[in-house]
Amino acid sequence: IDLVGRLFLSQGSSETDLSIFILLPSGLVIASLENYSPASKIGVFVKAGCRYETPDNQGVTHLLRLASNLTTKGASSFKICRGVEAVGGNLSVTSSRENMIYTVDCLRDDIDTVMEYLINVTTAPEFRAWEVSELTPRVKMDKAQAAHSTQIDVIESLHEAAYKNALCNSLYCPNHMVGNIQSGHLHQFVQNNFTSSRMALVGLGVDHTMLTQVGEQFLNIRSGAGTTGAEAQYRGGEIRLPSISSLLHSAVVSESAAAGTGEAMAFSVLQHLLGAGLHVKRGTCASSKLVQGVAKATADPFDVSAFNSSYSDSGLFGLYTISQPAAAGDVIKAALAEVKAVADGGVTAADLTRAKAQLKGQFLMSLETSEGLLETIGTQALAEGSYCSAEEVSKNIDNVSLTDVSNAAKKFVTGKKTMASSGNLIKTPFVDEI
Amino acid sequence: MMSLAARSGAFSPYMQATAVAVSGPLKALVSGVVVKGEKMLLDPKKQFLCRESLNGQSPKTGPAVTVSINGCAGVRFAHTDVRVPDFSDYRRPDVLDPNKSSQESSESRKTFSYLVTGATTVVGVYAAKTVVTQFVSSMSASADVLALSQIEIKLSDIPEGKNMTFKWRGKPLFVRHRTEKEIATEAGVNLAELRDPQHDKDRVLNPSWVIVLGVCTHLGCVPIANAGDFGGYYCPCHGSHYDASGRIRKGPAPLNLEVPFYEFPDDDTVLVG
Repeated sequence: IDLVGRLFLSQGSSETDLSIFILLPSGLVIASLENYSPASKIGVFVKAGCRYETPDNQGVTHLLRLASNLTTKGASSFKICRGVEAVGGNLSVTSSRENMIYTVDCLRDDIDTVMEYLINVTTAPEFRAWEVSELTPRVKMDKAQAAHSTQIDVIESLHEAAYKNALCNSLYCPNHMVGNIQSGHLHQFVQNNFTSSRMALVGLGVDHTMLTQVGEQFLNIRSGAGTTGAEAQYRGGEIRLPSISSLLHSAVVSESAAAGTGEAMAFSVLQHLLGAGLHVKRGTCASSKLVQGVAKATADPFDVSAFNSSYSDSGLFGLYTISQPAAAGDVIKAALAEVKAVADGGVTAADLTRAKAQLKGQFLMSLETSEGLLETIGTQALAEGSYCSAEEVSKNIDNVSLTDVSNAAKKFVTGKKTMASSGNLIKTPFVDEI
Repeated sequence: MMSLAARSGAFSPYMQATAVAVSGPLKALVSGVVVKGEKMLLDPKKQFLCRESLNGQSPKTGPAVTVSINGCAGVRFAHTDVRVPDFSDYRRPDVLDPNKSSQESSESRKTFSYLVTGATTVVGVYAAKTVVTQFVSSMSASADVLALSQIEIKLSDIPEGKNMTFKWRGKPLFVRHRTEKEIATEAGVNLAELRDPQHDKDRVLNPSWVIVLGVCTHLGCVPIANAGDFGGYYCPCHGSHYDASGRIRKGPAPLNLEVPFYEFPDDDTVLVG
């Protein structure tokens, strides 16, 4: 690789080097972006999130996530770990409800080595029975760490309460399946879900021809559409998790729109309109309607944010509050009142402009890191097989109108609600009381 | 049109739960987990003290979980992969309680340890010295050779005036029971006449017994007892005359007959050598 003339391109011109997506006949999507960075990143995106788990193999994606460094047909577990470490690279797997993303990053010159490991891990895992059974303590450790975070507890329970199937599956292995997922489950899940039409190969800072070659040679192995996931059915429910924590976490959501629709864009704008976290460190969240509204209802420490999550066929929109247990009811009601105010048309054009600017800012800033960029390209490749440039997305954001936003708020206010709460539930209202 | 802005936040920094094998040098740590037996003890530091510390704690979108070989070190932080065995059975009772200061017992513990070490060192040095001397002394004369080095003679077997010859260390040994007359004669000899002046009492422990090596100091022949001009020994090879004390009187020999080391363990025996 010629090191002379290497330079970092600014954000604006990064798209010019984007090799257009190649959609192979088998359905595999290959994309790469030459950003002339000395470090390369390659991701294999698979539509194999936990929504594709069936009732008899619930928790298999958790095991699969942990099994990324186990022995494969071409490389042993030791070789993978040592090989990746020797080049100073990183092999990681991220799983969300929709996708599993296998990423390797390393210096540009070492791409061949880590590429070999990546391909082995995604296409030729062996899932040896004893190695898989050794993952059980790691599963327990993962779950313990997740249980340590109340937010994860609440969000997972929220999904469990909101859906009847598919999206109700948790990212973590359920208790009854810890130790009961065997090698056969993993093999079957990979057979059914890791097919070419559900995969995308994305590279940042790699040679496109090389990537195409690898994709055609290795990732075309399993053709077919695999098992189609079930359509997610929203039901709306409630889960209350009592504990002795000194804070109460509560999430109230309703069904929103599937990702990729204009409605989903409206919900995103609404999220920022209402308030989605800090923009200034140690600031007072003056721009967040929710925070200002709740501050009038209680003087104790609290936090509130709009929650927005879109999946391929459904979505959740609502509020997430953290408050003192005694003030929980007031906080939740105050936050919901703010949303109602928006639904009733209490939004000014200035608010809307601010929200759009914040959303655009958040999106564009996420593209500034290589992880964010890779994820964006990959999820688009997987979901649509094409790439929307940042300018296009900014335009779409600008096209959201006031009515769209207030319709979205109305949909939340009138929709069947799901609620999940954790902490001292003494003053927490039930979902039918809010 | 893709509503990218609402994608499932796989990399939202808040919602990353990770479990890894090795920590990376540049990435942040998440709270560690300690495994004690089968229970997991988690870091309980979760005091939210003021409003500002709660800011930003609410999640904005659904989570994604990451596992990597070289990422945020949740596990390595607490070395949970390495199970440290419980050594309580082998520890001193003074220091078993983690809440008690170990300073009080430190004096006695140190004294005990140093004493034991010191004593072991002394014993060890002594043992080493013994072993080394045993090996080195194995190179000295063996027992059978040493057995030949001494001779025990029963004196009652030798009558007065008689000289008996014994083989000792490969050489003849003369044991002579002297008469009173011989003793008096030898004691009165003038030392100025002697080639090798030695008084008789310097050559014998008990005057009635003279014990000398029967090797002529001239050229090594064996002298004949009770012969010669001086009532002692006469060497036939070159004519050396010795007296009853074994001193040279006439002839070519330069020195008196050699007197070996001997002692009388009791009246009846003499131990030569």
